[in-house]
Amino acid sequence: MYTERLGLTKLFLLAEKGLNAIATSKYNPLYYHGALPQFFLWVLFLSGLLLFAYYIPTIDNAYASTALINAYTSVKYITETIPFGVVVRGIHRYAGDAMVFTILLHMIRVWFTDRYRQYRIVQWLSGVALLFLVLVIGQTGYYLVWDERSLVLTRMTVGAFDALPGIGEPLKWWFLNGKAITNFTFSNYLFIHIGLSFSLLFGLWVHYVRMQRPVVTPPPVINYLLMACVMLAVFWFPIHMEEPAMLTAQPSQFEVDWFFLAPYVLMTAMPLQAFWGLMATLTLVTCCLPYFVKTPPVEAAEVVDSKCTGCSLCARDCPYAAIEMVPAGAGSRFKLLATVKAYRCSGCGVCVGACAFDAIDLPDLLDTDVSAKIKSLVAQQSPSG
Amino acid sequence: MAGKVIALMCERSCDMTTHCKSSGEIEDLPGVYVVKLPCSGMVQPAMIEAALKAGAEGVVVTGCQIGDCYYREGNKMIKERLLGERPPGLKKAVDRRRVLGLWLSRLQPDRFIAEVKEFKATLKSMAAADSAQTR
Repeated sequence: MYTERLGLTKLFLLAEKGLNAIATSKYNPLYYHGALPQFFLWVLFLSGLLLFAYYIPTIDNAYASTALINAYTSVKYITETIPFGVVVRGIHRYAGDAMVFTILLHMIRVWFTDRYRQYRIVQWLSGVALLFLVLVIGQTGYYLVWDERSLVLTRMTVGAFDALPGIGEPLKWWFLNGKAITNFTFSNYLFIHIGLSFSLLFGLWVHYVRMQRPVVTPPPVINYLLMACVMLAVFWFPIHMEEPAMLTAQPSQFEVDWFFLAPYVLMTAMPLQAFWGLMATLTLVTCCLPYFVKTPPVEAAEVVDSKCTGCSLCARDCPYAAIEMVPAGAGSRFKLLATVKAYRCSGCGVCVGACAFDAIDLPDLLDTDVSAKIKSLVAQQSPSG
Repeated sequence: MAGKVIALMCERSCDMTTHCKSSGEIEDLPGVYVVKLPCSGMVQPAMIEAALKAGAEGVVVTGCQIGDCYYREGNKMIKERLLGERPPGLKKAVDRRRVLGLWLSRLQPDRFIAEVKEFKATLKSMAAADSAQTR
């Protein structure tokens, strides 16, 4: 049964109460925390498509003249010549930051409100994988520009791979798509950035598969507000061009986007082996977080086969898609029979509320017991009214 | 003394444990008895009918704030069932005025008490009107 963990949840309950007073529960962004990153994903796909139309993934003659067409000059062309090109770039960058921010909000909220364990384990693990993927894809966006920062990041990544025992060398050659920075490197960067971003859709399918009716779209009003926030950032901190990368130069400083490039700051602060150790530990601890809390296993709902009429209402209402309708046995008067997938069941009892035939029960709280309790409460010391 | 009111409450919504006697009766609201459920989504319309048939004057269903169900959708489900938008619903014969839905977070027991007091007052005036008609 329910154990008290109010200390952690209270913070969010207070925030919710406040926001409900302002926005009503229908428009409370905290109730769409999972849908917020999903919205930014569509914004990123769309703005990315526009950028892709003009981006040239080569470093051809990048070091001879800025008048030639290559990664850097095409980004410069987008930024300085195309009408609103700089706005699209800004949207793409800040929507990426916002996506990481909202994913972290989502993660912290499900953790604080204790909604990440047991029957939600697939959601948690796929969520960690999705966050990791988003961070990797976002970082590669910074390589594509091929300014001084891109060069530093590329060199730091190669250096970090070098420090990995065994797999470091092949990883490095895979990353550069050869043994040095060439045009092939850029086809790989573009593949990682765009190709891998479609794998997010597969990851999201895994993330949603154990939920009926996942909330994937916030109400339009919230979308407009989110977009307005991004636009504010676009105009307050407009994107500007840095110096182009020069393979002969050794730039050492760059502006840090803390949402994506924080690992590189860590890299400079410690030995690379320690960096990889820290990263591995962080990932492992995050993945294992659901197993640290010990609670008794969920008592899954049970179907009373003789009473089930196969009406499917419980299967339709189950929030975790834990009930499957199967063909009823030969002896049954009905076509279908409800069956519970115990590993998906949360023991919430929505199916009990959905059943008009008393055919499904929580083993630790029978609906007949609840009805009996109600009746005895009403019956004792009959009121004088 | 007026008739009894049964409060079918989600154990994660508005927290009345400190306000309850061991019998489940709420101290500030005599005649109101709490029955705790893991989620308000577990409330069967048949349970409400049973309570009213057994002689309860009213039934309060309390779930978390709409949008914040721990089990994702339980409070929305029972809300829609009470409104007749999702099967199974209440029988036609059930007096809808005797059923109250409240969607409150753990931090709102005061709000619960205030709302149920008002509900009880309404029930009382209904009873008075009924007896005036029959006599």
